[in-house]
Amino acid sequence: MTDATAMSGDDLNFIQRIRRDYSPLVIAMVGLFLVVFLAGATLTDDFLTWFNVKTIIRDAALVGIMAIGLTFVTLSGNFFLLSMKEIAALSIICFATLMGADWNQWGPAEGDPTTSALMMTFLVAFTATMIIATITGAIQGALIGLGGNPIVVTLGAAGLFFGIGSWWSDNLVVSYRRPHGAEWLGTGSFIGDIPNITVAFIIIAVVAELTLRYTTFGRQVYLVGANRAAGRATGHENFGMAIKCCIIASVCAAFVAVAFSGQVSSAHVNYFSSEFGSSGDMTIMVIAIVMVGGNSIMGGYGSTLRTSLGAIFISSIDNMMVLNGFNSGARVLAVGLMIVFSIIVFALVRRGSRAVE
Amino acid sequence: MADQLLLQLTNINRDYGAIQALKSASFEIGHGEIMGLVGENGAGKSTMVKIIGGFDTGFTGEYFYDGEVRHFGSPTAAEHAGIAIAQQELSLIPTMSVAENIFLAGDGVPQVASKGLLAKKAKPFLEEVGLGHINPMRVTNRLSVGEQHLVEVARLIAHNPQVLILDEPTAALGETDSIRILDMVKRLKERGKSVIYVSHRLDEIFKICDRVTVLRDGESQAPRAATDMDVNSLVELMLGFELGDMYPARRPITREVPILKVRDLWPDGILEPISFEVYPREILGLAGQLGSGTSEILGAMAGSTKSRGGTLHYDGEEFMASRPKDAIRRGIAFCSEDRKHDGLFLGRPIMENLSAPSIETISSNGLLNGAKERASTTENAIKFTVDPKRLPQEAGVLSGGNQQKVALGKWLSISPRVILVNEPTRGVDVGARAEIYQILRDLADQGAAIVVASTDIQEITNLPDRIISFYRGVQIGELELGRMTSASILEQITDPFHEAGIAVSERAS
Repeated sequence: MTDATAMSGDDLNFIQRIRRDYSPLVIAMVGLFLVVFLAGATLTDDFLTWFNVKTIIRDAALVGIMAIGLTFVTLSGNFFLLSMKEIAALSIICFATLMGADWNQWGPAEGDPTTSALMMTFLVAFTATMIIATITGAIQGALIGLGGNPIVVTLGAAGLFFGIGSWWSDNLVVSYRRPHGAEWLGTGSFIGDIPNITVAFIIIAVVAELTLRYTTFGRQVYLVGANRAAGRATGHENFGMAIKCCIIASVCAAFVAVAFSGQVSSAHVNYFSSEFGSSGDMTIMVIAIVMVGGNSIMGGYGSTLRTSLGAIFISSIDNMMVLNGFNSGARVLAVGLMIVFSIIVFALVRRGSRAVE
Repeated sequence: MADQLLLQLTNINRDYGAIQALKSASFEIGHGEIMGLVGENGAGKSTMVKIIGGFDTGFTGEYFYDGEVRHFGSPTAAEHAGIAIAQQELSLIPTMSVAENIFLAGDGVPQVASKGLLAKKAKPFLEEVGLGHINPMRVTNRLSVGEQHLVEVARLIAHNPQVLILDEPTAALGETDSIRILDMVKRLKERGKSVIYVSHRLDEIFKICDRVTVLRDGESQAPRAATDMDVNSLVELMLGFELGDMYPARRPITREVPILKVRDLWPDGILEPISFEVYPREILGLAGQLGSGTSEILGAMAGSTKSRGGTLHYDGEEFMASRPKDAIRRGIAFCSEDRKHDGLFLGRPIMENLSAPSIETISSNGLLNGAKERASTTENAIKFTVDPKRLPQEAGVLSGGNQQKVALGKWLSISPRVILVNEPTRGVDVGARAEIYQILRDLADQGAAIVVASTDIQEITNLPDRIISFYRGVQIGELELGRMTSASILEQITDPFHEAGIAVSERAS
């Protein structure tokens, strides 16, 4: 993941360019890591099968979509939203409650509901959830944009959203009956046996990357993130930027909540705190992915492509360890090591690539 | 005067990877001598200073100090031997008192000392640097930047160094503070200290230095007595060719309809509302020292500094920009004095820097038009003599002069009708300086109005067509081209009410 940014196209071959652009330490670390990874990949039974590759990408999808949303916040220089899992918790409660609400059943009272009736129910619940997510994002974005510290604002917001979600659901599991209108998103597949959530992950990753590269908004994200004062001086204010980016992150979190709820036909505020991923904590997991992808924590440098690769990378390591029978403690340790490792490598790479300031 | 040399470096080589910063360069200084060290950005001045001060140990060559061969392993070792450096950036602790800062290293004072004792001990050192009037108990950040620089020197003097290196001590200072620094250097010389004086300001070099060493592309020229040279021959040595006149010629301008009328502008730092007119095709200079309010006025016109009130009459409308965006939309560009803070996106490519203010105009329906961006940024890069091949590189790798050209050049992308520039050439070498002046003049000739604020007296005398002077937040007067001399400007910006009774004409020589 470190070869993507060699900029000058002189008449050097690939290896010469790498040797010019990166220090021996970086090359050694990345090389060592690749060797370990490839050895693990070939020595682990069933790792390099089409079925397992699909599993890896499907596992990466949910955290990956959330991380892509969060990448916008990080790139724009507004640090992280520490409330990702609470936004998802509030969203999933909202979605499941509306899916099961009596007034939201649009089919005939007797017998099996029709597909269009199920979709109608889904659309109402989905739209309402997205509206709530937009509001949560806008509130946080506005406070950050006005100069609030992102850590303080989003920690406060996290408590607020979790509290509302918990109160609303009486801290109980909210479930709804199958068949329901979210099954296609949670467990269905339209294209062969590729899960729809995987397709959604790929589409979102591509759209996000194209947005960052080729739209005015994407350029503004980078500029404001690289230097907020210079951004303001050239007519790009952080206020609007923070709101937009927080809404993107928030909507991505809500989308993941909807998809996850579609898988399990239920919701609980703790789904994203205790029963998700190897480390259990969705916010930490998502931040880890953004970091492992090599996005600058100060903003202005990185991409959602890096985040997507980071998600797949963490997921494949996790998968490899599962296949080798490691328990969750060891897997959390591995994720932690990867974060430390990637921070060191990317710090070295960046120091090497820049003139002394 | 220098029959016996105190410090002598010969045949010094230093390379950083592929870049050779110093090529068999030499440097020497005698007892009680003031040696000027000049050169363009990137000529190797700071490398030389770092080697002398023990910051850079990876050089080859001979280093004689006080008759012995030395190779200092660290700045501390050099300091113990009597070589002290005052860096460009202040290293004082702003929240501590002046006396505490002077004795920060803790030597020369008892282990347990009261603030009063420290103050008493600090007093002689403060007097030495001309700050005798300052209470040593005062908190450092209440002092002016110039005074802080002097405190920094006082701290170094407390260690009783033999050689004092001053690296661009006046770069961020106004005229009076600069004069204080120069006076202090002269006093140190009288006491037998040797001073290495690094500066971009050639007038200062001639005022105080005995001899001058010129560095060019890492090679040193033999030191010459300052009295044997004039500004032109020194610049020729620095550049390797003759510069001609650095400032573009000025022609009389007919001023009919102002493009911009400033009415009752009242930002912080200004005592009473300010009004003036700006005409197309002219370069208007706002003259004033640091703290005179000129940068606040420019900032308020551009919407980046808050103003208590006032309006701009421009293009048939009255408005007041509350944020830079408002001004940019109307074609008013503002280039601030601190390019690293808000002038450049250092980590982004030069191309993105050059197009940053005009993203909206190079895109359609929210999509960037890559071809259009490349075409317009290439055109602007060529105008500012930045190699278009470097467009994909990060702006941070450019030298100071080129960075300033990019910071200024980005505004061409909005085709501005009014360009506000604060300190157009701070920290920029002579060659790039001349280019920037020429570009500003060309822009004015093409019909733009340019307002320049500068604390550099040579620049403000020779660049603008008209000057409005400011002193401590008060608008003093206006000078037309015929009456713009350094002496008359200095009088207006340093002592307009004749409070100090200093003969200004003598100082402005």
